[in-house]
Formats: sequence, structure tokens, C-alpha cells
Amino acid sequence: MITLRGLTKRFGPTVAVDALTVDIAPGRVTGFLGPNGAGKSTTMRMILGLDRPTAGQALVGGRAYRELRRPLHEVGALLDARAIHPARSGRAHLRAMAHSNGIPARRVDEVLDTVGLDGRAAGKPGRALSLGMGQRLGIAGALLGDPPVLMFDEPVNGLDPDGVRWVRQLTRSLADEGRTVFVSSHLMSEMQLTADQLVVIGRGRLLADSPIGEVIARSTVAVRVRSPHPDGLAALAARLTAAGASVETADRNELTVTGVTADQVGDLAHELGVRLHELSAHAASLEQAFMELTADSVEYDGGPTEGGQR
Amino acid sequence: MSTQTDAGTRPASTPAAGAPATFRGAVAAEWTKLSSVRSTWWTALAGLLVMFASAGQLAIYVANDNTNDDPTDDRGIVTVGSVLIDSVELTQYVVLALGLLAITAEFTSGTIRTTLQCTPSRGRVLLSKAAVAGAVTFVLGLVLGGVGTLVARPVLGEWGSAPAADTIGDIVAVATYLALVGVLALGLGAALRSAVLTLTVLLATLMIVPLSLQEPDIDVLNRIADVFPGVAGGHFLAGDTEPYPSVVGLLLLAGWAAAALLLGRAALRRRDA
Repeated sequence: MITLRGLTKRFGPTVAVDALTVDIAPGRVTGFLGPNGAGKSTTMRMILGLDRPTAGQALVGGRAYRELRRPLHEVGALLDARAIHPARSGRAHLRAMAHSNGIPARRVDEVLDTVGLDGRAAGKPGRALSLGMGQRLGIAGALLGDPPVLMFDEPVNGLDPDGVRWVRQLTRSLADEGRTVFVSSHLMSEMQLTADQLVVIGRGRLLADSPIGEVIARSTVAVRVRSPHPDGLAALAARLTAAGASVETADRNELTVTGVTADQVGDLAHELGVRLHELSAHAASLEQAFMELTADSVEYDGGPTEGGQR
Repeated sequence: MSTQTDAGTRPASTPAAGAPATFRGAVAAEWTKLSSVRSTWWTALAGLLVMFASAGQLAIYVANDNTNDDPTDDRGIVTVGSVLIDSVELTQYVVLALGLLAITAEFTSGTIRTTLQCTPSRGRVLLSKAAVAGAVTFVLGLVLGGVGTLVARPVLGEWGSAPAADTIGDIVAVATYLALVGVLALGLGAALRSAVLTLTVLLATLMIVPLSLQEPDIDVLNRIADVFPGVAGGHFLAGDTEPYPSVVGLLLLAGWAAAALLLGRAALRRRDA
């Protein structure tokens, strides 16, 4: 269980994280979404006691990270897959971590095996590791203490499709074992496949904290209408607009309508005697839901892009 | 690569019971980190080469300068230990890299975050690093002292003396001095984060500022210079009785090292990692 209470971080005049209050519960995968610069990594660093909150609290199992007596046994985290000494081997990196928390050396080999790094890869110096291998090494470090709480910052970055599927299965099985799993990602489609719960932030503010199905359901369903009669279609568009729906005219034979159901559009078309060739409802993808949620909070004009946090 | 998903062993929902992480564990972690990078061993080798060259050269100067063969005069015979001590002036800048890199490399590579995740107590992180860097530089200092002695003794020939007890005492003093300077570098590195900046500040504190203060030979400025870590360490190594007993020099240097550690801890606590 991770508990955030009014968690706030200011860097000078910039508010990176703004009064975040969220509970991240055990037994499920919680996706942490937000556009570039939304404050995801800063939030994770505060949970780990690396950044000091300006106000509020971040607690793990009811305690501040800096008070944990066996931190690796309580929280495992992958923050930055690039954070390994260029000359140190992955195995030595893990061994040092294990020593610090009294974890037996054989556990290092166990987690290396779990993440699929063989002896040759684990013996390579940090500078020779690919991003994907770095991610696996970072995940191995997170699993070292067999902790009940796990946090992964962008874990699928740089992984091949096989690796992406592996992370998906891993997070799922960790949550099924009753652990708290908190995963940030800029890949909405990835979240759609792995997360049970979504925490969405934009400009440091909480935008949504709900089951993933709800986030999608809450967002707009678009109805596509095609007709061979442009005049009838125009009349239909006028009536729909009058009824409060928003109508986009794709071309003279096609409309995209939001704010009403397909049934309502069909009834209206029947009433007006407009012949239709297509009437279809399109559920918004998580991607669209996310865009709608964060539309007002995107920091840069290019739209949400890959997280390039420091 | 395998796609195995079994993460562990325990259907964990509560933290594992067990002993808390210990200072010993943190020391073992720091030793693993220091010994697993090649730069540590290159630094030690560089220290040996510099000591070899420096002790050899200083011994040659002594032997060449002395031409007075009259045994009734003070013939300017020097102890091997004094050559060692002079060689340390230069060698220390290689050796202190061990203390320096133990912390600044963590900032440049980003592993400081992993370290603080493993050991959230900033004081414990620095103390365990100080224990390892101090012990390693002390042992290296003993080896360097041995090498310096083996080089200087034959070169000095009739112009040198090496009473066993004094020489051993000097070697241990050199090792102690190097260990404390290594810890000083570690603490400053934790506060300043950048290796280059830390090295600059160290050069200034150990050499440039005290030398500038001593240059005009004004009493009050000399007194101030005597408090600086390099000068205090020098009085300790030389076994001086003026301006203060050599043990005070040792304590002053140790005080500087401790102050640097406290400064580093304050910086680690206050700043975001």
C-alpha cells in the first residue's frame, strides 16, 4: 500500500506535483499516467525519500521511506535503467545492493534468472548494457528483497516485443501474488493491457483515479454516420446540433457525432427519412480517453510525448 | 531471453520479518562497489608509480647535494622516513582520488539513488563509505610507504639512515595521513558532487591557500596557515613540536575530515538526489 497525502513538490516557482492524494492498493496493477513533465518521476522519487516533498506525505505501508529499516524488503523500485556505473558489472551492482540489506548472494542469481539475464550479460560492464538489459537489471534489483510493494518507472522503454510481453506478465503475476504494483508509462495502449486501476496526472494534479474500464467508459463514444444523400445528411446534422450533440462533417457523405448514442441518431434519421449506409458506434480507446483527460494540462504544444524526465 | 514470470517465492503482502539492515551490510556494499570497478586498481597502481618516482627522485637529490665527506661535520644525513614524507606531498593527490570517486562517481552515474534506496540513512551511507575509503587508503598507504622505503634506501646510500622503529613509525604515519585525506575528499565530494570542483577545492585547501599565507612570512598569517589540513598533517608527519605537538596536527587533520563528512551528510540530507 502506497499512501500519498497532499503530496506537493515545488521547484522554485514551478509546481511539479500539486497536492496529490491517492491510495495505491495491493493486489492490483496501478498504472500511473501523465504527459511529459506531469510529475510522475518526481512523485516516485518522493515515495522513495529521494526528493523531499515541499508539503504533504508519501508513505509506504504507513511509514516514510527514510524510516524503513529494511527498505529493499519493503519496496522494490526501478527508476532509471541507465543508472549503473559504466565500469561495474550488473552482477556486482546487484551484489552491492544485496549486501546492504543482508540479502544472501544466491538471491542475486535467482533474480538474474527471473529477469532472463544470463551469466554473460550479467558480467558485462554497465556501459555495455543495452537499454533493454538495463531495464531487466533494474527490475532484478527491485525484486531482490522480495518486497510487497513494487514501483516501475517506464519499465518497457527499450524492450523488444518479447520483453514487453514479459513485463506485462510479470506485473500481472506480482499483483496476483497480492503485491502493490505501481507502474508509470507514457504508453497508454500498454496500460490498457496491464493496469487494473489508473492514476492520471497532468501538471502535477490528479485528473483521475479509477478502474481502467471507468476511465474509458467515461470518455466520449463517437458515432459514425454515412449516407448517399448529402442533403439528408445535412438536415440530420442540423437536428443533431440543435439537440446538443457535436457534429463533425468528415465529407459530404459522412458525419462523426459525439454526445448522443447510435440509437438516438438512428431514430432521428428514420424520422427524417434519411437513408443510411452506415451507423456505427466507436468506443474511445484509452489513448483518446487520456488525451481528453489531459487536454488542458499538456505542457508542450507537440502533445504528450515520451517521458524525458531528469 | 527467458520469459519466465515467477518473481519470487513468497505471496508477499506484508514486509518480511527479519533483522534490520546493518552498518556492516552497508560497509560490505561499499567494498563491493569500490572493488568492482577497475579505476580503483588503476588508481592504486598510479599511486605506486608516483611514489616510486617521487621517492627515487628526492633520494637522488639528497645523495647528489651531499658532498661533505668530513665525518666530524653534520653531513646532512637524512632518514628514509623524511624522504617518504616529502614524497607524500605529491602522491596524496593520486590516492585521494579513491575517496573522491567513491562518491562523485555515484552522482555522475546516477547510482546514488540506488544507494539511498538501499540505505536511506544519509549518515550511514557516508560513514560506510568513509570506513571503506579510509581502510583502503590506509592499507595502500602502508604499501606505498614500503615501496618508498625500498626505493629510497639504496639510492640514499651513505647519506641516508633507516632505523627500523622510526621507519615503521613513519610508514604508519603516512598511511594514517593518506586515510584522513581520503576521507576529507569523500566528505567534500558528497557536498560538492562534482569531481573536478572537489579536486580544485582540495588543491586549494591542502596546498595553494596555506602556501600563499606562508609566503609573506607574517606571524599571524603563518598561524592561520598552520590550521589548514595539509599543513597540520605535515606537522604530524614531521613529528614537530612547534607550533604545536605532532598529535595536535593529527587531531586537526582528523577534525577537518570529520567536518567534511558532516558537511557531506548535511548536503545529502537537504538536497534532492
